[in-house]
Amino acid sequence: MFLGRPLFTADFFNLFMSSVWAPDQHLFGILPFVCGTLAIVILSLLIAFPLSLGNAVLINLLLPQLPAKFLYRIVKLMTGIPTVIYGFVGISLLVPFLREWSASGSGMSLLSAALLLALLISPTMILVFVESFTAIPQPHLNAVAALGGNVRHKLIYTLLPGAKNGIMTGLLLAAGRALGDTMIALMVAGNATAMPESLFASVRTLTAHIALVMAADFDSTEFRTIFICGIILYLGTLILTLTLRVFNRNGSNADLERGLS
Amino acid sequence: MIPGRVVEIENLSFYYGAQRVLNNLSCGFAGHSICAVTGPSGSGKSTLLTTINRLWEEVDGARVEGVVKVLLDNMEIDLHESKIRLAQLRRKVGMVFQIPNPLPMSIYKNLTLPLRMAGIKNRDQQRQRVERVLQDAFLWPEVKMRLQSDARLLSGGQQQRLCIARAMILEPEILLLDEPTSSLDEGAVSEIENLLLNLKERCSLIMVSHDLEQVARIADSSVELVAGSLV
Amino acid sequence: MSRIYDFTLSLFAGVCGLLLIASVAVMLGFLVGQGGSVLGLKLIFGSTDFREIIDIILLRQVVINALWPALIGTFLLVFTALITALPLGLGVGVYLAEYAGKPAKVFFSLIFDLLAGVPSIVIGLFGFSVTIYLHSHFSDLMPCLLISGMSLALLVLPYLVRTTQSALEELPSALRVTSFALGAEKSSIILLVLLPQALPGIFSGIVLAIGRAAEDTAVIMLTGVVASAGIPRSIFDNYEALPFYIYHTASQFSNQHELQQGIGAALVLLIICTLLFTGAGLLRKKATHHFLYHSK
Repeated sequence: MFLGRPLFTADFFNLFMSSVWAPDQHLFGILPFVCGTLAIVILSLLIAFPLSLGNAVLINLLLPQLPAKFLYRIVKLMTGIPTVIYGFVGISLLVPFLREWSASGSGMSLLSAALLLALLISPTMILVFVESFTAIPQPHLNAVAALGGNVRHKLIYTLLPGAKNGIMTGLLLAAGRALGDTMIALMVAGNATAMPESLFASVRTLTAHIALVMAADFDSTEFRTIFICGIILYLGTLILTLTLRVFNRNGSNADLERGLS
Repeated sequence: MIPGRVVEIENLSFYYGAQRVLNNLSCGFAGHSICAVTGPSGSGKSTLLTTINRLWEEVDGARVEGVVKVLLDNMEIDLHESKIRLAQLRRKVGMVFQIPNPLPMSIYKNLTLPLRMAGIKNRDQQRQRVERVLQDAFLWPEVKMRLQSDARLLSGGQQQRLCIARAMILEPEILLLDEPTSSLDEGAVSEIENLLLNLKERCSLIMVSHDLEQVARIADSSVELVAGSLV
Repeated sequence: MSRIYDFTLSLFAGVCGLLLIASVAVMLGFLVGQGGSVLGLKLIFGSTDFREIIDIILLRQVVINALWPALIGTFLLVFTALITALPLGLGVGVYLAEYAGKPAKVFFSLIFDLLAGVPSIVIGLFGFSVTIYLHSHFSDLMPCLLISGMSLALLVLPYLVRTTQSALEELPSALRVTSFALGAEKSSIILLVLLPQALPGIFSGIVLAIGRAAEDTAVIMLTGVVASAGIPRSIFDNYEALPFYIYHTASQFSNQHELQQGIGAALVLLIICTLLFTGAGLLRKKATHHFLYHSK
């Protein structure tokens, strides 16, 4: 029953066969979309990872108890913000801002999507990082402090080495979320069908493509491409989830994504 | 500061939140000797130690009143007034904890950690100091063939000697020990006691101990702390 | 020299914190500032006349340009999803916590991890494919409320199973031991003792699932939501939903007023989700608190 995920492959097996190499109207088939997805995922991770690490350090090492708890609570609340809202605020605020600032294009671009996506995935990453930092035994930190170590030393010599698994987990979870997000990419990335050329180029992701083409007519080849996109996305998250399990024996996607663990 | 003393404490009170842990203490500790601090559990002995290397500052909500003076490099330093950096202070005033806390790395790395943090990067220097300090801790013959192995694999007694060695590697003038042998078995205890006696000439030791027989065995002087006040 | 590194680290961390807080503040400020004025009965019902409102609620009057149909749509959606997912989710959760052996647990844990990781739009695609399949082989089925509800059920299933399982597994073992010692049947123990004790944890999972179902846009986009459909007459109808309303407005507003409506809708969604999320958190806290003080 649950293995019915492949159902949609089986159902459209003939479709699968016929549209794999169909050139159709899009340049290079769906390659631009694959690149679009990869581009915003990688860019958003590049932005979100340092941001999350910095905040985790802030919460665990630098801030005194009260501000630290406050920041933590805000981060926790942020995980509950729906992606449509990020998309909406993005369109209303970020896009016009970027349009002015870069003086090129409509403001809907790779960059705007990546920025919003980074904001979306950071809270989850921060929570995972904080949890793995907190799991480092206090005696280790005491040892470093008593030897004349400061915050930076504690970070480099105890926290980071000890939290390696947690950091990987956070990264993989965030990557999964970024990969599968539809609304931000749909609303803010521009949705042009060309290969992504620059940071300010309009891109379309696999997820946005699926959503956009849904409005088109059934049974055209264009329509069938959305199933390929779906399969690719499914495979992508499959790989991420399996890798995640390797790194994290006890945690689970469902718990961690909602900050429940 | 009274000559001969390396630590002088005046009217020291320690608060953890609203709770008062140390009660207007005044005392002093002599140099190049083993000074013991005894008393029932919970009387604030460990806390007293942390006022000498300001480790109490790692704890949220802790507060201190009074004067703590330390003699380092022949200079009198008021811990609460001086501009001395925490890192520097703690290199001169080392600490050994009740339960040995080797870091999750090799024996060698555990020992070079304080050196690296202090900026001593030269590999040869590091190697020399590691060997010297392990010899002093009577640990060299036991570990010299396994310096790269994980420090946590050592026995309890060996771990504690490692921690003492680690604390000594920067050549501190004062060594604070918080019940260093209470988690160890008899054989290990006497090894450590021997080690401490040997360290006397190099630095001043202030040791918290539960064990009155131990105090009688190795300490040169002792003070007793009950419920945050000296007896 | 190393002082510079220390300073840079602190500076960097501080900047990260500020960036995060600033982004949230800007978002909230924008939503509340621009949309705060729109919040009110007019936004939801299209008028402030009480008689009209009652008519609307009683389905005697149609609403245009207001949130009411979308709110009802979202509500019905969540309801359908829960009805489908709850029995299954709770059932599997109980099975995993109480009856399953190690290999089964590992297997299901893998399955649900995979399911939880699937992007929402792929789940929507699956729902859509099922529709097409059924359409071509059976009835005239089109994407509709039912399909959306069931797809959403698929989306939230992992959360339900996971929280039910943990809630039961986290119960103190003393509870089980004493119940067994009293000679009761396993099924009655589960129903009468364990489940009631695990209720706060289970509820927190349910509330979380509600939140997840209410906020999702991608799934419903592929399975039946439209921009204006009024109140659906049956579960086989198209419907409106709040998150889609927001998306639609954002991509196609033509004047300031419409934009403001969208902002108002976004605020409403945000408030709903925040309430649900905090509720779930409080329930979860209550679950742990319960055990600390009530387990004997």
